[in-house]
Amino acid sequence: MPILYKVLTALLALTGCVSLAITGQINLVMSSVALALIPGYYRFFKGEPHASIRIIGLFTFTELLVFLFDSFAVSGDVFIAVAHLTIAFQALKSFDLKEPWDHLQVYFVSLLQLIIASELTSSLAFGVVFVVFMVLLVTAMVVSHFLKEGHGNQGLVRRPVYVISVLTICLTVLFFAGLPRFTYRFISKGHARGIHTTGFSGRMDFGSLGTVKLDPTVVMRVELQGPAAGPLYWRGSTLDYFDGITWKNELRTGTRLRRTADGFILGTPEKGSGTNRQPEGTVKQQTEQQIDLEPLDSDVIFGLARVLSIRTDAYAMTVDAAGTISLPGKTSRRIRYTVISDVADRAAGSADPRYLQVPAGSERISGLALRLVRNIQDEAGRAAFIEGYLRNNYEYSLTVSPPPEGTSPIEDFLFIARKGYCEHYATAMVLMLRGVGIPARVVTGFLGGDRNTYGGYLIVRQSDAHSWVEALIKGQWQRFDPTPPVAVQPAGTYNLFWDSVKMKWSRYVVGYRPEDRSDLLGQFATGLGQAGRLSVQSVRRLMSSGLPAFLLFVALSVLMAVSVLVHLKRRRRGRRKVTAAYLKVRGALVRKGIRITASTTTAEIEAQTVKFPFNPLLREFHRAYSRARFGRGADEEAVLQKARSLIRAMGSKAMSGAGK
Amino acid sequence: METILQGKADAIKMAIVTLLGRGHLLIEDIPGVGKTTLASALAKSTDCTFRRIQFTSDLLPTDILGVSIFNQETRDFEFRQGPVFSNIVLADEINRTNPKTQSALLEAMSEKKVSVERHTFMLPDPFMVIATQNPMEYHGTFPLPESQLDRFMLHITIGYPALEYERKAILGKTSFVLLDDLSPVVSHQEIVRMQAEVEKVFTDDSVVAYLMKIVTGTRTHPSVRLGASTRGAQFFLSAVRAHAYYEGRDYISPDDVKALAPLVLGHRIILRTRMTVAEAELVVRDIVESLPVPV
Repeated sequence: MPILYKVLTALLALTGCVSLAITGQINLVMSSVALALIPGYYRFFKGEPHASIRIIGLFTFTELLVFLFDSFAVSGDVFIAVAHLTIAFQALKSFDLKEPWDHLQVYFVSLLQLIIASELTSSLAFGVVFVVFMVLLVTAMVVSHFLKEGHGNQGLVRRPVYVISVLTICLTVLFFAGLPRFTYRFISKGHARGIHTTGFSGRMDFGSLGTVKLDPTVVMRVELQGPAAGPLYWRGSTLDYFDGITWKNELRTGTRLRRTADGFILGTPEKGSGTNRQPEGTVKQQTEQQIDLEPLDSDVIFGLARVLSIRTDAYAMTVDAAGTISLPGKTSRRIRYTVISDVADRAAGSADPRYLQVPAGSERISGLALRLVRNIQDEAGRAAFIEGYLRNNYEYSLTVSPPPEGTSPIEDFLFIARKGYCEHYATAMVLMLRGVGIPARVVTGFLGGDRNTYGGYLIVRQSDAHSWVEALIKGQWQRFDPTPPVAVQPAGTYNLFWDSVKMKWSRYVVGYRPEDRSDLLGQFATGLGQAGRLSVQSVRRLMSSGLPAFLLFVALSVLMAVSVLVHLKRRRRGRRKVTAAYLKVRGALVRKGIRITASTTTAEIEAQTVKFPFNPLLREFHRAYSRARFGRGADEEAVLQKARSLIRAMGSKAMSGAGK
Repeated sequence: METILQGKADAIKMAIVTLLGRGHLLIEDIPGVGKTTLASALAKSTDCTFRRIQFTSDLLPTDILGVSIFNQETRDFEFRQGPVFSNIVLADEINRTNPKTQSALLEAMSEKKVSVERHTFMLPDPFMVIATQNPMEYHGTFPLPESQLDRFMLHITIGYPALEYERKAILGKTSFVLLDDLSPVVSHQEIVRMQAEVEKVFTDDSVVAYLMKIVTGTRTHPSVRLGASTRGAQFFLSAVRAHAYYEGRDYISPDDVKALAPLVLGHRIILRTRMTVAEAELVVRDIVESLPVPV
């Protein structure tokens, strides 16, 4: 068994396990069994005997028990448990590689691992692993085929591997670009765990935002179109009920959004009357945001206030009374949606007694608020004053020690520690506003984001998480942000560039849409269209019906099969360069009148040409040729060189004339 | 060696090839052209032990293998090794003895060991049998059956020497005198080493395929009743390797295959007309000529 074959099997097993590892979704303890791959394949390479059937059987049984235990107790998810099982299987198999069949099993399990991984992640790293896997798999298949056919020569394998690998990758790209996407998913339940967030699921434990603020994980990437002046507040969820420790959202009963051809429309349906999706008169500036939202552990989606419509492929969306838009369930994979909003920091609303609720024992806070605004009469002025007061008199800090026992964290912030972060500021302001009789609520979301010059989009991270305040003033919810602005450290160029690569990956590969296909075809066709009759429209029409795609698939499959067959056949005939040279020399000899048939060997030709003066050269060439052709391989160039000088010698009159 | 058997370089070469390929040699020719001389010369020029067994019609298997004799002192049977326990065994006129004795030798040839009364004795290494038979004497001979012919790697004929060599042969010293002068040029350890090296000779797939085509060609040829066996094909490849090694190459080429095909396959096939091995060799040549050489 050639070493190449062994290495390929080991690499495939490794690639499969790596693909699972990069998802970050598997349990480290459960998958630590992968370490057994190292001694397993070490022994395999050393040619040590494989484990006895009894041990293998015992471990297989243990594996199954662990799998059951895992799927019920550890992961609680059969899908993840299967992922762990495949790793254990790979580890076990590395001790038991006897026959070609065992190698095939390794390939198959690796493929399974890739499929599982594809369900768990769609990161760029997975894309790279996938391409590596594909090349390895093709190589392994070709090598095993050649082994089966009895070709031990590794040089023979190289060309078909290159050709088939390139063909496969080209075809994958073609199918990727050409075939229509199915909204149907292979495995309907999402298994990927979302990024852990806080504050967006109707509940926020006070102080939890502090940890999130230190997390640089990217939450979403936004492409902005249209005006967007001032700081960008990515509005998420609202919170209205505070019990002194936890914020809650008591108004989460949402209404389903109306779905139209343009997506989900917010606002009053009776006013919109179908065709006109803009509420009349009020909207002048519209901003379109294309958002790639990473999987979060919440169902809330984000957008600039005030959202007018959302385009996405979810089957339903809801909005609650406070304007929180949510999906029907948690997003287990990256979703992409387009939000159109008018950039206004106020929205119509109605008062509700719960927006005036304060936790018991917050008299001191209300007292402070009343004292601050006693000279100001109008509500807007009062709110602005409180905002300014908090902004200017308190220190922003993410390192806040927990308040002493029995003290409310807000009182601690306002009167003792006098430092805190957005959560403290926003909560304090809401309680103060409520204390002076202005309905107010906390809004959670993200603020700003890094503008990435590579690709011109915005990166919003966990650390951009923010909470701010909305107060109901004169029948309109108005935004206030009492948190003093913090200087953020800009991300490095390298990081920005790398992120743009990831963005492009998720945008154009993972999130490939039918429009992109049309665009791609359009670009392709306009290139061609200059010369020919290929019109974008006709191609688009063709592409939109399913049959051509199928025909394309069939045609390309047949093409690939035929080309591989032709290639292998040609390979088998062994028409390498030296063979071509040999045949050329033979042709020249035949022209000299020497009897050569297909069954004539080199020695017979030499015997026939003893009288010719080029005979020594011919012998030399034959020796070199047969060494290169039938031996373990030799310098082919030298053979060709000899052939050239031989043919020259045969051609020259002095040489050939002497023999006659 | 060539001084003794002048003008017969090919026969000597094939004898060496057989030795290197761990095979056995069958020489078939009329009496008096040097069969025995070739065998003894081969043994002499190596430092191998050499025994000659003259096969007669009353030869018994124990005459070859050895016999257990009751030892009065130890009160036990002890085995006296027969002439087969030597590196090179010349089985002269093998077709003169009865089949029972023939098969005793032939078993030893293929197994490289001797089983006598529940005991098994290994034969020395290298071990090679050179058998000769006379085609002319049909009376009182037991022709070797096909299965036993199959155990010989090569079947060669020596033929009359060319006129000038024959003249030298009758004028010069007799071969017995010359044989005494012959000194070993290679030790038997070296032969074992060379045999191991022969097994490492590289075999390109296309040449093996060519060889296989020739072998299967013998099975489908219209005038052949029984084609070459799989063991024949195995011997063929071993012989081809040894031939390539003899020629100083570490790989086999179609030339090796083509040169050896008649010698390896000729005695393995049975023609419909039950003609001689020489005829069969012609058929093999015919088959080889009809097949394209891999290029």
